[in-house]
Amino acid sequence: MPVRLAILALVRHKARTLLALLGIAVSAALLLDMVMLASGMKENFQGFLMLRGYQLRVAPKGTLPFDSDATIDSTASLVAAIRRLPGVSAVSPVLGAQSQTTSTRDSTITAFTLGIFPDVQGDYELVRGSDLTDSTSLVANERWLSETGRAIGDTVTLAVGYDPQLRTVLGQRRFVVRGVARFFYIAATQPTIGMTLPVLQAMGGSGRRDRSSLLMVKAADSADIEAVRSAIQRVSPRISAISLEGATEAVEQRLGYFKQLALVLGSISLAVGVLLVTTLITIGVNERAGEIAVLRAIGVARTSIVGQVVMEGIVLTGIGALSGILIGLVTAQWLERILSDFPGLPATFRFFVFQPRDAGIALALLAAAGMLAGIYPAWRAASLPIAGTLRREAVA
Amino acid sequence: MIPAWRGGLRGAALGVLLLSAPAAAQVIDSAPTRPAAVRTIALDARLATDAGVALGDTVRLSAIPGDSLGERAVVSALLGRRADPSEIARQEYRARLHLDQLQRIIGYGDRVDRFAVLSRGPEQRRTLLDAINGAAFGFKAWPSADIAVRTSRTFQVVRRFNRAIGVITIVASAAFLLCILLLKIDERRRDVAALRMMGISAGTIVKSVVLEAGIIALLGSVAGVGFGIVVAAIVNWHFQGVYRTTLAFTLVTPTTVVFACLLSVLLGVVAGWVAARRLVRVPALQLLGR
Repeated sequence: MPVRLAILALVRHKARTLLALLGIAVSAALLLDMVMLASGMKENFQGFLMLRGYQLRVAPKGTLPFDSDATIDSTASLVAAIRRLPGVSAVSPVLGAQSQTTSTRDSTITAFTLGIFPDVQGDYELVRGSDLTDSTSLVANERWLSETGRAIGDTVTLAVGYDPQLRTVLGQRRFVVRGVARFFYIAATQPTIGMTLPVLQAMGGSGRRDRSSLLMVKAADSADIEAVRSAIQRVSPRISAISLEGATEAVEQRLGYFKQLALVLGSISLAVGVLLVTTLITIGVNERAGEIAVLRAIGVARTSIVGQVVMEGIVLTGIGALSGILIGLVTAQWLERILSDFPGLPATFRFFVFQPRDAGIALALLAAAGMLAGIYPAWRAASLPIAGTLRREAVA
Repeated sequence: MIPAWRGGLRGAALGVLLLSAPAAAQVIDSAPTRPAAVRTIALDARLATDAGVALGDTVRLSAIPGDSLGERAVVSALLGRRADPSEIARQEYRARLHLDQLQRIIGYGDRVDRFAVLSRGPEQRRTLLDAINGAAFGFKAWPSADIAVRTSRTFQVVRRFNRAIGVITIVASAAFLLCILLLKIDERRRDVAALRMMGISAGTIVKSVVLEAGIIALLGSVAGVGFGIVVAAIVNWHFQGVYRTTLAFTLVTPTTVVFACLLSVLLGVVAGWVAARRLVRVPALQLLGR
């Protein structure tokens, strides 16, 4: 009954109800988007790091993986020491460098190059062709193939630098393109290739001998990740062992602007929605003061009047919120497309991730806002003096 | 320094020579001594504060964490953080060293990461770029304007994102504004009925209601601008504290103010006109509830 009365009261003024619903729906959409943005980045980033099950990263002391050109020295002995630690099931060293090659159109293409061990690597998945088999094989992403005009089976010459004094290229070698790979942590727009770690180290000369940019460490399922992280940290003072939580915290700190923006905008849209619904229902109560006084005069309890007015707020907010969730999913796609243009963002990364929990949070916040919005007009309706209101209405 | 470049840079004056440390040079410790042969360095003021280092202190620098045999240097200057959006989210510290000093500490040899070249004029820039790019394999020269475009892509994305959010907010605000103004004008049913019964023309009533709605919208938008200025100040104060920068995160520009006021008045006038037209079409007695 209170729901029906609330709906009838809202239908009485169609134009204002429709406008209010539109406003609430857009605010709800914004709120949902902001909840998705605030929680989606964290969820997505954690899933992103765990793509191949490596829970820990080891980077040069004080840096995040690939955050600088800093490298870890004595990689072989470090990897061996970490492998010996209890709870460690795999260690994958990775070296990042730039390499140059000439395309079929005779232009120089610079590519991001990863040196890995194919049996333990967690950086790419093979799309077609075969994986690295020997010191002359390489895998490349689609972008590198399109920019160089090469295909699987082609032989290419790569170099990793140039000595301007001697006017010679450094570390020049010939490779055969064996396969096409999708690199998880590198932007799809970045030409990227992968080769075996010892080859890339050797191409860099003495400066890269036995060096790596990062170690990815997989702990056994039964292992205490934090204990393994601490043990790795104790192996060398020159490294930082970073857990999933540590990496997430560091990235969240960098992307904190978006999270805080989401919080501010979400709060403002909620506050404005509450104000609008309160105004709307208060004016509705004022217009229906005579009806409410009559209802009270014929014995309808204050609680019923309060229930009906609060229900009006909840119905208005509820319908607006449900439409808002649909609008929010559409606008999230639009905003995702904008943010996906961030330079260097891996193709698999998502800012807006829909989770039923997010929709639940948005709906719960809006339901609470609807109830809050109904409290003041409900109090006004319940405290109307019956005789005075009836006399005023009769005179009017 | 780097003689092979001289031929390639003929006709140009070498401006700034930069080398960014590939390995983070670390401040090992500090001591209030100053031998004459020790080189000077400039430190990020935030680093100095966080590490308790002051001007004139001697610090040890090393590319290897925990190295007690690092090279000594005297802190001769403290650097304020630039209000550069590209550095805001990065909490790393900065130190400026003499080029040869940094090359030695990090074992970088006679190498640099990039050069900044000052050309003698725009007409020589193209020739110079071609000469440098044709000189060798493995590096590329870019005009500063191109680099600015490439490095500003992040901010273009943030700007587009903020604009998109702005559009959504404007749609919601417009609906709310129209709704509130409809309510305000609907409250005037009895006044309008009385005016109609006194013989005031529908056109005059519509004009007066539209004028009233426009004034309410204008006053509201002026109050909104004041609120916006206060919120912008709070946002700037908050983020400048979080990121320890002087960068302005929010700006209330004259264009923004004019746009907000115009949009608000336009919506007010439209809402006033729609509501007034609806009211004057209803017979006066009906408006009075008869």
